[in-house]
Amino acid sequence: MRFAFPGFQFGLSPMTLPTILLILFIAFSAILIGLFVSRPGATVTRGGKITAFLLLFFLPILCATMGLSSELERSKSTAFCLSCHTMELFGRSLYVDDPGHLAAAHFQNHRVPPDNACYTCHSDYAMFGTFKTKLRGLQHVYVYYLTKPPAPENIKLYTPFNNRECLHCHAGARSFEEGAVHNADPDLLPAVKANKISCISSGCHEVVHNVAQLNQVKFWNGAH
Amino acid sequence: MPNANTIEKRLQIAAALIILGLLVEAVCLVWARPLAFLIFVGIGMLLMFAGIVFYLISLVAPGAGRSQ
Repeated sequence: MRFAFPGFQFGLSPMTLPTILLILFIAFSAILIGLFVSRPGATVTRGGKITAFLLLFFLPILCATMGLSSELERSKSTAFCLSCHTMELFGRSLYVDDPGHLAAAHFQNHRVPPDNACYTCHSDYAMFGTFKTKLRGLQHVYVYYLTKPPAPENIKLYTPFNNRECLHCHAGARSFEEGAVHNADPDLLPAVKANKISCISSGCHEVVHNVAQLNQVKFWNGAH
Repeated sequence: MPNANTIEKRLQIAAALIILGLLVEAVCLVWARPLAFLIFVGIGMLLMFAGIVFYLISLVAPGAGRSQ
């Protein structure tokens, strides 16, 4: 399924060469295992026993590890997140032609990698961050398939957005540390760094995805 | 006491589980959807794990070494 946006398409990208090679390797492994066990007396000799161990223990673990690694990497992609209908408007919000829209400005100016845009901002930059993000992903699946998912404009984060995710990139950056607005009040930056004042609080960078009002904004056509 | 045929039968069951798991994994890698990720982990890896455990059990099952 592909979602068309002005001048750009988010879709699950065609399979990459490593994925194709991995699928071929898995298929080859399956055939090899099938041929081996179909031979009568295959494990009678010492060599047969070693081969059986390699084929029935080592090879499946190797395939599972490589497959899981590939799936985990793919689950970080923007296309993966936007492949759910509920996320369609959030993907569209990345193309709003207004630098005041936080998510759009980050996406369009490559402040986050466009291919991993969702994951870059919505993962925890803390210990076990990726693991926690995947658990939240499971929660998304539960909500999507087993309950009535809310309308896109009613979707809220499970927990308030932590400034840590912003500071992972912005802390120490000159534009952030020496920004006029950030330094107008000497208490502001320490409060932001301590997560006492949210970066996306009212009056600051409050417009993030704003999916409820996407019908009132202009869209960027994307890089050509 | 299991004979050679029993051991082979066990290996074939283990191999069938592993092959099924591998096929599920391959299909999930082609399908590339969030649900495929869950099927990959929940069914594919479970089948492979079951197959490997079945193979290991067949190695230590009573009479396995002697009959081979």
